[in-house]
Amino acid sequence: MKLYFDLPAENARAVPEMAPGEKKMYCLPYNFQEEKIVNGYMLFTNRRIFKLLKGQLLETYDVSQMSDFTVEKMFGCGGFYAKVNGSTTCLCLFNAGRNLPRYTVIASSFENIVKRGDDRILTSSEPERFCPKCGRPFVVHTKLCPFCQDKKAIYKKLWGMTKGLRLMLLFPLLAAFISLILRFVVPAIQRVAIDDYITNPDVTDAQIPGFILIILAIISCDLISRLIGVIQSRISATSANRFTLMLRTILFEKIESLSIASIHKKSTGDLMNRINNDVNVVQNFITNLLPTYLTQALSFIVALVILIWMSPLFCLFVFIPIPFALIFIFFFRKTMTRRNIRAWVLDRRTQAHLQDTIDGIRVVKTYGNEERAVHDFTQDTGNQARQDESNAKLFDTVFPFVGFVLHLGSYLITLLGNYWVFNGTMQIGYLSQFSSYSAIIYEPILTINTIPRNIAAFSTSLGKILELLEEDPDVYDQSVPDFKRIEGHVSIKNMTFGYDSYNPVLENINLEINKGEMIGIVGHSGCGKTTLINLIMRLYDVTEGSISIDGINVKNMSQNNLRSQMGIVLQETHLFSGSITDNIKYASPNATNEEVVRAAKLANAHDFIVRLPEGYNSMVGEKGYSLSGGERQRIAIARALIHNPRLLILDEATAALDTETEKIIQDAIDRVIEGRTTIVIAHRLSTLRNADKILVLNHGQMAEFGTHKELLDKQGIYYKLVMSQVRQSQEK
Amino acid sequence: MEEVELESLFERRESVRLTQENAVFSKSPGGLISLTLRHPESDKPDEFFERVIPLRGFPITDPEQFISIREPDTKEKGRGAEIGLIYDMKEFDQATQELIRAELDRHYFTPELLKIYSVKEKFGYLYFEAETSAGPTSFVLNNPYSNFRTFDDERIFIYDIDGNCFQISHPEKLDKASYRRIEIYL
Repeated sequence: MKLYFDLPAENARAVPEMAPGEKKMYCLPYNFQEEKIVNGYMLFTNRRIFKLLKGQLLETYDVSQMSDFTVEKMFGCGGFYAKVNGSTTCLCLFNAGRNLPRYTVIASSFENIVKRGDDRILTSSEPERFCPKCGRPFVVHTKLCPFCQDKKAIYKKLWGMTKGLRLMLLFPLLAAFISLILRFVVPAIQRVAIDDYITNPDVTDAQIPGFILIILAIISCDLISRLIGVIQSRISATSANRFTLMLRTILFEKIESLSIASIHKKSTGDLMNRINNDVNVVQNFITNLLPTYLTQALSFIVALVILIWMSPLFCLFVFIPIPFALIFIFFFRKTMTRRNIRAWVLDRRTQAHLQDTIDGIRVVKTYGNEERAVHDFTQDTGNQARQDESNAKLFDTVFPFVGFVLHLGSYLITLLGNYWVFNGTMQIGYLSQFSSYSAIIYEPILTINTIPRNIAAFSTSLGKILELLEEDPDVYDQSVPDFKRIEGHVSIKNMTFGYDSYNPVLENINLEINKGEMIGIVGHSGCGKTTLINLIMRLYDVTEGSISIDGINVKNMSQNNLRSQMGIVLQETHLFSGSITDNIKYASPNATNEEVVRAAKLANAHDFIVRLPEGYNSMVGEKGYSLSGGERQRIAIARALIHNPRLLILDEATAALDTETEKIIQDAIDRVIEGRTTIVIAHRLSTLRNADKILVLNHGQMAEFGTHKELLDKQGIYYKLVMSQVRQSQEK
Repeated sequence: MEEVELESLFERRESVRLTQENAVFSKSPGGLISLTLRHPESDKPDEFFERVIPLRGFPITDPEQFISIREPDTKEKGRGAEIGLIYDMKEFDQATQELIRAELDRHYFTPELLKIYSVKEKFGYLYFEAETSAGPTSFVLNNPYSNFRTFDDERIFIYDIDGNCFQISHPEKLDKASYRRIEIYL
């Protein structure tokens, strides 16, 4: 991330001379001043901080008089604060989304200067999120700027996706082209039939075979065009579905490869939408709409050329109603788009409301609020119905009218044509051919109004898909050979981590966990316990310092290999739809029944599983048996044990259980920690009675570390936690 | 340092109702708010806070009520605790009200949209060019339909990709062309 912006010339002139030994370190924009949006700059040297605006030096701060540099995120903006002569001062206000990470680096750099005299220039490894050319934000998580991005590059990517399907995608075009030719040929043949035979009073019997030939030609044209239609539909069915399949597969692969961090920033519904709806929109556009538009454009041009060639004067009549229709469509389009979007929004609102209330039906009933829920829903769905009704009425009134206006042209042609036919200056067949061609011209005009909307929908969906596909993974796998089996020695050195680089969740953690030890982690909620184990599992990469297992930095291990050697029981035990065996075998699908039973026994789950009507084959998950929290927990523990991991991680496995279940699980844990390195996050301190060492985290820092006894003797945080739990259980 | 941490973990300070009697707000030399907290009912000595941060409990519906007065967040102590709560700004004199309101307005910086020059949609992103009460600006929305929020009193909030918020207090007073540009997203 850029930390030195170029000062605009007018501001650069206002900067005073640098003193000897003074060096310019950073230069950042600030965006707000006295409730106005401004384009100001802060220039930071190792001695002074200058605040510049429109060529004026507003403030000069002397760094030697300052301390406590901090940034604060506020509602809608961020502030850079420091104590000046002991009094907290707001140095500047900035756009938080753009500049908060930058000012955070500055704050820690100046802390280094005032506390340690360390004036090294810090850099930020965070990727730039704004287009260097236009300053607009990139598409989230990518380096694509919708404005500056070379359109060609995007379409090239799309073209790349059609690999293997191109011939199939071209076929509709080819088919359309052939049927286009037929559409032009048939009226020409008809014209011959009418002029030379039907209306010709001098037809002789000798000409009958010729007439039959013409009829046959017309019939075969029809047959050919229908055949082509069938082939085209079949091929489109294949290409459309293959395209969808291909796009969904690469999207899903991409989603599975993303780190937990970036998945967490997206909602499940949003991801599902992209895989389902957005893919459909893009597929429909590419395999269906685009060929249609191209052929329509082509037939329009061809028909136009032929009409002009046949009779330029006549052609004018065809065109008389077109401007009226186009103008009308142009003005009506906005209303139409607005009404369509409105209907769509109302539909979404109804859907969301429905889902919300059905999900929460228990709460609705508990508070006796059924009537209000029904009322709210009726209101939503009523609004939607009214909008849909009014849209349908309006559109169904307007479009026939536009069609009528367009057809006025053909009336004019008929009128004038018949006049000429009666005059004898034109033949009926010629007139019929001309009318047929003019109809070809009108067709695309009626659909022209849907084109902008479809293109907009396509580009929105494409944007969402690219947003995912172009996302850089933030936890990279080194290409290293899979290493031997983990022994279970974990070592954490000077480790600092924050989900956003400006906001560390864990700071300067140093921890040695020997092979086979059990370590308990305690601390108040939000102190970073779960984050710490996520880091050991390498769901995220540490910001500073290192975590190593058996002396190998986890960054140099493949994520798969690493996690496949750990047993993990998370706070939320998600069981997949399937049998209990499937769930226990999840981490190691080739496990034998014997291994499954052994793991279940270790986890104290065997007993209750056997008592289920279908034993280990009982279904769980959405459609299956409803298990209690404790039972799910024990299945999860069995799942973690199936491959006999040397490193076991338990996250608050006993937090929400009743005392008896807790005891059962406690026994299970006591049994499973045997011979494994175990890291347990515990709320109930009784879980930790067998722990070799206990780590107390406080606001992301290591507050205490030692054995149960050492920490009790110390009478620190752990002591107070134990005392308060003892008191609680006595009160109970 | 250890002691401080313990305190923050177990002895959270008791938030008090702030009134003209127990709270004296003043402008700090740095231009921010300082607070002297008296404890009239006990014989505890006055407490002085070099800097306090006011936050609104109901920033949208009742911006003048339930103002939480807090200590700033620090690395050492973690999240700053609430010192006290102002139930209603009216309980304080004019000067204090203005002092606190100025800080609140800076915190809840929500420029008013006066005119929308253009709204362009590209790849599902909305690009605005607009005139606001804080001057002309341009901003970007990444998910148009979930970043407009309308309230019962017709007010509209628009949240951009950078975390800024713009408001339209009286949509009916906005010129027609501007309103048309955002109407479909509401």
